[in-house]
Amino acid sequence: MSATTLSPPRPLAWIGAQPLAVLLAFAVLALVVSWSAAPSLFSSHDPFLGLTAQKLLPPSATNWFGTDHLGRDLYARVVQGTWSSVTSALIATLIGLAIGGLLGLASGFLGGWVDTVIGRLIDMLLAIPNFLLAVVIVSAFGFQTINVAVATGVASVAVFARLMRSEVMKTSTAVFVEASVLVGGRAAHVLLRHVLPNAYRSVVALAVLQFGTSILTIAGLAFLGYGDPPPAADWGLLVANGKDYPSSPWLVFAPATVIVVTVLAINRISRWIRHAA
Amino acid sequence: MNAVSPPADLLAIRGLSIAYGNKPAVHDVDLTLHAGRSLALIGESGSGKSTIARALCGLLPASGTARGRILFQGQDLLALPEARLRALRGRAIGFVPQDPQNALNPVRSIGAQAQEAARLLDLPDVAARRARILQTFARIGLADPARLYDAYPHQLSGGMLQRVLIGLAILPGPALIVADEPTSALDVTIQKRILDLLGALQAELGISLLLITHDLAIAAERAHDVVVLKDGQVQERGTADQVFRQPRSAYARRLQADVPALNPERFRAATARQPGAGEAIHVDGVSKTFQAEGRSVRAVQDVSFGVPAGTTHALVGESGSGKTTLVRLLLGLERPDRGHIAVAGTPVATDAPDRLRGLRRELQLVYQNPFTSLDPTWSVGGIIAEPLQRYDVGHRGDRQAQVIEALRAVDLPEQVLRRRPGALSGGQRQRVAIARALILRPKVLVLDEPTSALDVTVQAGIVEVLFRLQAQLGLTYLFVSHDLALIRQLADSVTVLRHGQVVEQGPVAQIFSRPREAYTRLLLDSIPRPAAASRESFLVDQETEN
Amino acid sequence: MTRNTSLSQAARRIGQALVVILLAYSFTFLIISVLPGDPISNMLLDPENGFTEEEIAPIIAHYGLDRPVLEQWWMAISRFALGDLGISLRSNRPVSSMLLEALPSTLLLAGSAMLVALLLALLIAYASQNLPRRWGQGVARVLPALSLSVPSFVIGLVLIQVFAFQLGLFRITQPNSLAATFFAALALGIPVSAQIAEVLIANLDHEAGQEYFAVAQARGLRRSQLFLRHQLRPSALPVVTMIALSIGELLGGSLITETIFGRKGVGSLVQSAVVTQDFPVLQSVVSLAAVVFVLVNLLADLLYPLLDPRLRRRDTAARDDTAERLA
Repeated sequence: MSATTLSPPRPLAWIGAQPLAVLLAFAVLALVVSWSAAPSLFSSHDPFLGLTAQKLLPPSATNWFGTDHLGRDLYARVVQGTWSSVTSALIATLIGLAIGGLLGLASGFLGGWVDTVIGRLIDMLLAIPNFLLAVVIVSAFGFQTINVAVATGVASVAVFARLMRSEVMKTSTAVFVEASVLVGGRAAHVLLRHVLPNAYRSVVALAVLQFGTSILTIAGLAFLGYGDPPPAADWGLLVANGKDYPSSPWLVFAPATVIVVTVLAINRISRWIRHAA
Repeated sequence: MNAVSPPADLLAIRGLSIAYGNKPAVHDVDLTLHAGRSLALIGESGSGKSTIARALCGLLPASGTARGRILFQGQDLLALPEARLRALRGRAIGFVPQDPQNALNPVRSIGAQAQEAARLLDLPDVAARRARILQTFARIGLADPARLYDAYPHQLSGGMLQRVLIGLAILPGPALIVADEPTSALDVTIQKRILDLLGALQAELGISLLLITHDLAIAAERAHDVVVLKDGQVQERGTADQVFRQPRSAYARRLQADVPALNPERFRAATARQPGAGEAIHVDGVSKTFQAEGRSVRAVQDVSFGVPAGTTHALVGESGSGKTTLVRLLLGLERPDRGHIAVAGTPVATDAPDRLRGLRRELQLVYQNPFTSLDPTWSVGGIIAEPLQRYDVGHRGDRQAQVIEALRAVDLPEQVLRRRPGALSGGQRQRVAIARALILRPKVLVLDEPTSALDVTVQAGIVEVLFRLQAQLGLTYLFVSHDLALIRQLADSVTVLRHGQVVEQGPVAQIFSRPREAYTRLLLDSIPRPAAASRESFLVDQETEN
Repeated sequence: MTRNTSLSQAARRIGQALVVILLAYSFTFLIISVLPGDPISNMLLDPENGFTEEEIAPIIAHYGLDRPVLEQWWMAISRFALGDLGISLRSNRPVSSMLLEALPSTLLLAGSAMLVALLLALLIAYASQNLPRRWGQGVARVLPALSLSVPSFVIGLVLIQVFAFQLGLFRITQPNSLAATFFAALALGIPVSAQIAEVLIANLDHEAGQEYFAVAQARGLRRSQLFLRHQLRPSALPVVTMIALSIGELLGGSLITETIFGRKGVGSLVQSAVVTQDFPVLQSVVSLAAVVFVLVNLLADLLYPLLDPRLRRRDTAARDDTAERLA
């Protein structure tokens, strides 16, 4: 952040100075966001229309990712599934960030018995394997993509809380924080103007990273069939449907590649936030 | 390898240039070290002195590239293949690092790491090597070597670790020891012992010593020859006596003028301070005990002193003397178990946060390390204005003018206002910290080792600013330091602390000229005295030649 | 004195571990039995599931479903503490015996996966330090980040596609064969190995920048000795921490791996329990997973003093310091 504020006058030059991989990652992310915002702009095929005569066609100029067992265009299906895959990951991340961030902030800044209680809660959430916890929540509340998103979010609370706690504790004991107290800073001022601005960058980096991880977890849950049923087109569900046709491997690899490239791009951006920027 | 009689020039560096990536660090350096002599490489941070030491030991990081020649016993180290160089390292060149606390692997025992050095000797087995290790430890004055052998690094003090490291360096019987600021992380009294030990080994075993240091006084006291470096280039070279008595280059002259040990009277003549009315600081019978891991540590015991307004009082002590605790008690950051503290007539009331907050308008602190005391996310202007905003002094336009005035007072240009601390040098940061501390116009300023993280020339600049501000504003300073030479330059009175207790206190002139306590004398003895030393090194020369 | 403090410290850690297990059980109970509003009764009473009155009554009595929530919780947790995991709603068998049947296969899978993960992580970490800088190290450093971007089910499907369908090295119709088990372990182990490798590489880099590494190098040590003694050995503690943390990953991941490779085990037991809404099974598996996680991490904690002498509580520094000054 300091580098951006140091050289604000020439944004174009600043963009040009970033590594190529980071620019590429942002381009991928922009494409994925556009897919989910306006799927019809990116594919002329109807994702729900199956032409049985054209089933299981390999990738070609007309069907970029080939067609599925009902003859639907797979690329159109992937684009159509982007919205729910990406939004549910976003919801999951926001839940984890909000609950975990607040817990970690309270724990790290207040200390004492608050820290002890929240510390045990975090330990408890860490002790239940994330994926298993998400599975249990979904099975108790029903097989829907929105429940999958909430479950993934709850399962990620511990990670956020732990990082926020350690960052807040680290900056609370920083010398410049004590210096602010000595020049008359009261608790709220110190927290809002010194502790949070110094803690937030690594938390934002984690949130971006967790966004990628949530896409993976949600794809996993959709793959097991815990999300909305077909004809929904969540990326994980597309892979699950495709695996029953081993002689048409593109049914697995096309949506899988989209997941991998998206998550790679998100991880690269997270690393960029943490180190450079 | 040593069958041929060693050439007189043990080490000859010719046209050495080193760059990290495309940033040059060392430029076209020549230096020569004769067998059995000592050479000091002097420079401040960024001068390239440590880079040269590392290149010599083959320790440059992968990004570093060296050109030129480093001739050691006639072989060019830069041209040797890695395998041959490795054989030379350790066996013929011993390395003594800067920070002993970090120079031994914390998860392996001293003995295990000593065995690594001892395997270079042609000894039959582990037991024989162990015997030789214990013998060496005893030789360098380590008591109970067998217990040390089984100990882990964290169980030893810094001084002992440095002795162990020196022991490991001389164990294989090297021809050259490269010591990279071997004492800068140690307490002053231990510094002296370590330098004495290196000098003795050099004289008795005929090992050559390359001493890397930032301290001109130490170099002049301890080395035969001196090379002065700045920004990777040689400024001056000659015998220690020459460079010290008649520095020819501008930089060496400035270094000489800025080293406190060499200029005890530098600031005394320039300032005529009139003590104001009354006591600015009053400390009476203060004690503080900490509980740590089930043990109680008596950090401060029954300390009393008073500071007249408008003067400078110094707290001196080595690590563990309680000086930092005393500062925290004074600022109300800790609560004393017993005793009473008052600043400008007001008691430091740790149980009344609002009164304490009010008091701090009169009482400010400058921290030791300017790299941690400024919030990296704030601009310099924001940092200096923060006290004004917190205490709601003046209105917006007013504050801006006050901030600029404060900047001028510490000799910083207005352009730094919008910069962040990360873009400033250490000296500039400390000036920002002083500006922040003074903007509320406090009566008392506590300075906790404010220059110990800085180079001497930068330190001199900061001390000048402090003196000028004191004269202008009638400030009272409480100056905490481990550096007696610096205190002799700037303080009016001094309290010598040890293990949390007052050893003795009084006017600086009296304590420095007629110390009553043995510990004070010990501290005073550790101030380097090059004039006396040059005679001693002359004697050593004669000894080695005879 | 030191013995006493380290004993009381161990006792405190064990106490904390028990609290965490208790909390984990209660949290799962809250999710399964309280928040959705008595899903067990709903499931039993759903006519589609075809339970008769005679079948339902004993189950309701067993779990105390007609009593207040707190009382249900107390009954459940007392039974759990005594090792009684309840009765499956579907098979009418004790959950403990179902788990015992499923456990060996999953332990074999998870154990081999951990072994594979460790070997891969060590290999990658070694390459990241010792291969030629640009290509060797570069590739080794990208690999963990890359494999952490691939969903675990895709890794499994790719392995099956390549090694079963293309190369014919194993058949998915024989999921318990040696080759099939190996590839299942590989699928489960790769994400874990990536996590361990990332931690390991970061620590090896950190050690290589330490002063004691340079000093040891100046002692003329060989590259391999430097790597083992002054890079790998000091990195042991964070790696053990990471291994202990990734136990959860292995337990959760076995759900997907067992489904893909068609293995019978705890993972597939969970999968069928989810589909059939067999809540006692879910409650037991999740609680036991938490117990395993807590125990493994407790073990790691107790192991730390062996790995780092600074954690063995013997403080002689202060005394030696004084001795040095008086000498």
